[in-house]
Amino acid sequence: MNDREIFINMINDNLNEMNGTIDCLYITTSICAKNKLLNRLRRNMSNINLMLQGLRNGESMSSPPSIAERLFTMQDLSRYNGRDGNPAYIAVNGVVYDVTSNAAWGGATHFGLSAGTDVTSQFASCHAGQPILSKLKVVGKLVE
Amino acid sequence: MNKVNNPCLNYSTRLKTASVLVHKAIEAIKHKDIQKRNLIWLELTGCSGNIISLLNGANPDFKSLASQMVNFIYDNSLMAAEGEAAMEKLYSMTGRDYILAVEGAVSTKDNGLYNIIGRWKGHPVTAYEVIKEFGEQAAYVIAVGTCASDGGISAARPNPAGCIGIQDMLDRKVIKLPGCPCHPDWFMGTLAYVMLFGEPETDNRQRPLMFYSTLIHDICPRRPYFDQGIFASKLGEKTCMFKLGCRGPVTRVDCPIRKWNDRVNWPIGDNTPCIGCAMFGFPDQMEPFISYDTT
Repeated sequence: MNDREIFINMINDNLNEMNGTIDCLYITTSICAKNKLLNRLRRNMSNINLMLQGLRNGESMSSPPSIAERLFTMQDLSRYNGRDGNPAYIAVNGVVYDVTSNAAWGGATHFGLSAGTDVTSQFASCHAGQPILSKLKVVGKLVE
Repeated sequence: MNKVNNPCLNYSTRLKTASVLVHKAIEAIKHKDIQKRNLIWLELTGCSGNIISLLNGANPDFKSLASQMVNFIYDNSLMAAEGEAAMEKLYSMTGRDYILAVEGAVSTKDNGLYNIIGRWKGHPVTAYEVIKEFGEQAAYVIAVGTCASDGGISAARPNPAGCIGIQDMLDRKVIKLPGCPCHPDWFMGTLAYVMLFGEPETDNRQRPLMFYSTLIHDICPRRPYFDQGIFASKLGEKTCMFKLGCRGPVTRVDCPIRKWNDRVNWPIGDNTPCIGCAMFGFPDQMEPFISYDTT
């Protein structure tokens, strides 16, 4: 199953869950239960938003394959710190990603990390197993 | 300033969570369905901002909590007793049923010498030993504010007193209510829930889902600006502050709904970015709080 199919399946799962939640909302009278159900709907919407972003990134990546072949040294990468007109790039496991418009990278920083750096070890310690990288736009590869 | 009343069902329903729970708990006590519980509030290594915030609660307010919901046994800022007489009240709870609320981190360096909360039988009592003794015995432990939850400002670099969150001291579950300070609703709602139904459903960081399930970014009134790519370049502009380093996209809590100071306003409503005060890693990992010249 390719990335696109995985995203579409996940969107469908979320939509099915939302349907069930809305059915429950019609019958519940408890304000606490209602609150939980509304929270769940919000979470589903957030998930769908992420999946859509992943789908869009997948489409933009497949059109110009040459961009992903661009090579970066650590010095090159450090210029892409998200400041003064430069986009914000980070490297994970040798791949360089664009996080300029990624919401979690407000001000080109994220939990004490700055764009323009290799964040492989920090990514492994915080986001191992999470489908995050596939939603980011690849811009090239990191070379020694 | 934002409007206090929002017609959105999501907002209006969630806004009532704490008051509904507190009123339910008070009614249940009146009808003798449940009993008032003893509450101990410890102020450890911090600024006492959480107890001040609690006093600022409105519907539910502190008076309802202290007079109708719990027996407020000990809090060094609020109680009339002082010195050994105050400590006597605290130690009178040994072996009895109580709920423990803790604000502030625990200073661990040199056996906790840098935070002494009182004297008992002539000996200084450190935050370190009091949390060990009362934390293990409590029916429930609630960490109020970011310092108690994850170390917070007290544990910020270079952390000279070796401060840690209370979960790291205790071999039991702690319900965490991070926020600098903790919103009065978050504490009173959680306390009422605990009294009515037991432990609330929490996320993997032990925060009650009823308050901490949603990213600020997902319910931010400025979200449409983000989606359209319209960003503020300096403070005071009314658009999305993502480029200024807003931490709303990584902070899970319901500030946009509940707001502060009697639900009048909140940071983003007042044109300053969210600084992620309710998120683990605050403040070190949330810095810089403001960034300019971002692409």
